[in-house]
Amino acid sequence: MAKFRRARQAEDVTQKPYTASTFAVQAVMTVVAVLFLFPLFVILNYSFKTKKELYLTSPLKLPDSLQWANYEAALKKLNLTTTFTNTFIYTAVSVLILALLCGVTAWAISRGKGKFFKFSFVYFVIGILIPFQALFLPIYTIGYKMHLTNTRYGIIFMYVATGISFGVFLMNSFMSTVPLELEEAARIDGCSVVRTYFVIVFPLLKPAFATLIIMQAFQIWNDYLLASLYVSKKGLKTLTVAIQSLFSAQASDYTTAMAAIVVSVLPISVLFLSLQKYFIKGMTVGAVKG
Amino acid sequence: MNKKKTMQDKMNRQYFLLIVPGMVIFTIGVILPLLLALRYSFTSWDGMTVEKESVGISNYINLWKDANFRQAWWFTIKFTIANTIVQNVFALLFAVALDSGIKAQKVYRTILFIPCLVSAVIVGFVWLKLYSNVLPELNEIFGTNINFLLFGDGKTVLRGLVIANNWQWIGYWMLIYLAGLQSVPSDLYEAAKVDGASAVQRFFNVTIPMLAPAITICVVGITTGSLKVYDLLVSSTGGGPGRASTSVIQMIYATAISGRQYGYGSAMSVTLVVILLMVAMIQVKGLKSKEVQS
Amino acid sequence: MKKKALSLLLCSAMTVGMLTGCGGSGDDGAANTPAADTVDEAEAPAAAEEADEAEAPAPSTDGEEVTLTVLAGQSTTDAGIEDMIDAALAEKYPNITLEWECTGWDGEFHPKMQQYMQSGLPDIIIGKAQDVNTYASQGLLGEIDATYLDRGLDAARENVTIDGKTYGLVYNALYQGVYYNKTMFAENGWEVPTTQEELQAIIDDCNAKGIVPFASHMVDTWSIGNVTMQFMMNDVFNNTPDWGDQFREGKVSFAEDQAAQTAYSYNKLIFDNTYPETFSTEQTDCDARMVLGEAAMKVSGSWSIQNFLDIDENFDFGIFPFPNQTGDSKLIFEPNIAIMTSAQTEHQDAVNCVLDVLSGDKELAVEILDFTKTASMLKDVAPTFANPSQADIDEYASKGMIVDVTLGNNQLVWGGFQEENAADIAAYLQGDISFEDCLAASDARVGSSSAQ
Repeated sequence: MAKFRRARQAEDVTQKPYTASTFAVQAVMTVVAVLFLFPLFVILNYSFKTKKELYLTSPLKLPDSLQWANYEAALKKLNLTTTFTNTFIYTAVSVLILALLCGVTAWAISRGKGKFFKFSFVYFVIGILIPFQALFLPIYTIGYKMHLTNTRYGIIFMYVATGISFGVFLMNSFMSTVPLELEEAARIDGCSVVRTYFVIVFPLLKPAFATLIIMQAFQIWNDYLLASLYVSKKGLKTLTVAIQSLFSAQASDYTTAMAAIVVSVLPISVLFLSLQKYFIKGMTVGAVKG
Repeated sequence: MNKKKTMQDKMNRQYFLLIVPGMVIFTIGVILPLLLALRYSFTSWDGMTVEKESVGISNYINLWKDANFRQAWWFTIKFTIANTIVQNVFALLFAVALDSGIKAQKVYRTILFIPCLVSAVIVGFVWLKLYSNVLPELNEIFGTNINFLLFGDGKTVLRGLVIANNWQWIGYWMLIYLAGLQSVPSDLYEAAKVDGASAVQRFFNVTIPMLAPAITICVVGITTGSLKVYDLLVSSTGGGPGRASTSVIQMIYATAISGRQYGYGSAMSVTLVVILLMVAMIQVKGLKSKEVQS
Repeated sequence: MKKKALSLLLCSAMTVGMLTGCGGSGDDGAANTPAADTVDEAEAPAAAEEADEAEAPAPSTDGEEVTLTVLAGQSTTDAGIEDMIDAALAEKYPNITLEWECTGWDGEFHPKMQQYMQSGLPDIIIGKAQDVNTYASQGLLGEIDATYLDRGLDAARENVTIDGKTYGLVYNALYQGVYYNKTMFAENGWEVPTTQEELQAIIDDCNAKGIVPFASHMVDTWSIGNVTMQFMMNDVFNNTPDWGDQFREGKVSFAEDQAAQTAYSYNKLIFDNTYPETFSTEQTDCDARMVLGEAAMKVSGSWSIQNFLDIDENFDFGIFPFPNQTGDSKLIFEPNIAIMTSAQTEHQDAVNCVLDVLSGDKELAVEILDFTKTASMLKDVAPTFANPSQADIDEYASKGMIVDVTLGNNQLVWGGFQEENAADIAAYLQGDISFEDCLAASDARVGSSSAQ
């Protein structure tokens, strides 16, 4: 792989000639983009309608007037300040712990010599092969037996435990980018193992951490299964779980639900749009590396 | 030599200490549940009583005979295969299209990516509304007669779910392919051009081999993602109509939790884990062989 | 050698990890402290002392700050009543705070209960009347003081009483049956049907006139399960109240029992006489079409009223029981919100204060009933919302033609049985499986048919 590392520069892309076939592709992709945006338009459109409009007029018709009341209802029903803060705390803390833990674990595994370290790598990787969703049942049982359910630290613990495999695997694949000579030099200077990690290795792994943090943050932010099983107290619920309860079977309140969707998607979209560069870089660095 | 060895031992000990915390957390959070599932799968526990009566392997024998469980697997497998094919093909196509020098590439990229910021629970609900209320309206406007009620019939529900799932995830995998494409050195294309290769030939002989790592990532990601499908179903079909779209995880939930057959549900979990492990092993092998090639 | 030592160490580390995990669970079983919430554990001893001191008969907590844990299994129509209860409680007993855990009754409520059975129940549990049978039989629920029960209707007590002890305070009730468009019935000269023949005549007339006979939303499996229980009540349980027990004893089965099969087959009658896209139609859309006059009838329950009136506050509708084979169907009555308490609460006095507010605060009751569009199960309390179907309900009540569906739900439980059977019925209606397969599947599920 390494010999192909000389990637094309971004400007390279624009250098391609704009021909008739490029225009055709542009046209097709525009149609695709419109199709992709259509559901988002429907959500927005619904979120501003009155209940009556929803039932009595065409779903594609624009609302007569913007019903901000739906948003007020959504904020109230979602208990937004609480659920948003909760989701944020769970995501941020889990991701930070994961970054810290996975980085150091993967590094120790790749630097340690002997069967144990090989074994521990395989041991962790088993976790990637088994998504936690397949084990939700006993994970739930363990949770309440160990008093982890309905606590903040409990769900964070579980997000860390279930995310650690992927993290170790990912960070491990980045370890070859850290030159051993640097570490050895540090060691000769009398750096302890831990110090070597934090002073030499840690700064070199920044792109890897970006990948890890972004990929895990996504999953945790949008997680439904674990959150629904682990935290159900009013003050501890997450956004996704709160929204799902708006959809439940009886008497769905669609206009409010749609407003709630907008409210919940908005923050992460804004985050994405403003940090897009880092998002994409982080996501794809790992992917291109394979 | 000897000195070096003791040095490495000393280091190893420190490395070991660094691994311990992660390992303990992982063991409690994932491996212990796995062992628990195994243990409960040999009982007839209902999830409530104190005593857990051992029933040997009868849960597994019953699973073998359970038509509903087979159906859940069948659905999950079909869903996984359909997603793996459709998502990879379209993600790659879109990536190539965006990489072909069209204007405002970033705008398209953003638009296609946004759906994957949305939780699958929400995606399911939105597509439920789209299929049953919004899209049929298009028939009225254009005078067409397309069947949009995909969730309403066991024969079309898979198609409907695959579309919804693809809407959500294509942009994500496309991004990975796009990054892969952009890392292909342009001199390779030029060399192929000089050799007189057509655009199609260049795509299959240069692009695809160069994308091998990205393809592996995407295939593995989409397969495991689809096998564990649950969130998408919760707020859309709920496993219906009938049992047409009941996934394995959903079946485990219904059996062990709503149906109070915890032991039996645990046996289902164990089989799911075994199959996931097998699938993953095969894929890891494939990944290894590709690494050797490059 | 070193490596071996290392792996040994690792193994022991893992074993210790597991042991502590299991050890923790063992302690739970042994300890009697209902530490519903780990966070509160530290306060538990202090709280216990306090409970010992306060032995006053009247609900009073000496003004001490108490936090009670509440697990509520709600329908979506109930969501929001917790704020009303909080407000009412704050007025009368400001020292008591409720820590709510609201879950969907269909979804996470039972898993949560299973979890709490092992770690100690919350102080107050709000569920449905049928839950009393499930959980009281395991000795988990506390008996409710007669002071509060006496404020409720006697009819409410029967199905939440086991061996003479009452474990639930039934708060409100739903009615279930066939909602019909009154205006449409009048215009077409249809009378409320009491027999299958009369119903069929209306269906035929509808079809002839291009009216959809039944509005339905079979996309929701629960809806199929719900109407099937309505059918079972009038065709099976009204004649054989212990049909479920007999079923478990092997005396009757779906494959052989004509009445049970008839009940199942009514689903087909509905399916053949509803919108073709019923498997894509959700409840709100279905209700909207009913209100808009596209369909004449809908087999449903009080939860539809909220929708009906939301869409058109002037919609005029009535209710009648779905006719059975013998023409003596009764209107289905379902005690809905039932308040239960933990047998091992450390704050019995505070719990009683909450029961006092719930059973005694009439303003609160009316607020909740109006919000949920349900009927009262408290004496001298009536909701003030306009319910066009009330006249019909009163009439059936006066003739004694009302039956409590809790009986059926106790005989054949919802989770794991009715719910699963409904999925089979849906598969049958979809043409995936035969009617015989559908019946056989219900028979095969006999082991899950009871909560015990």
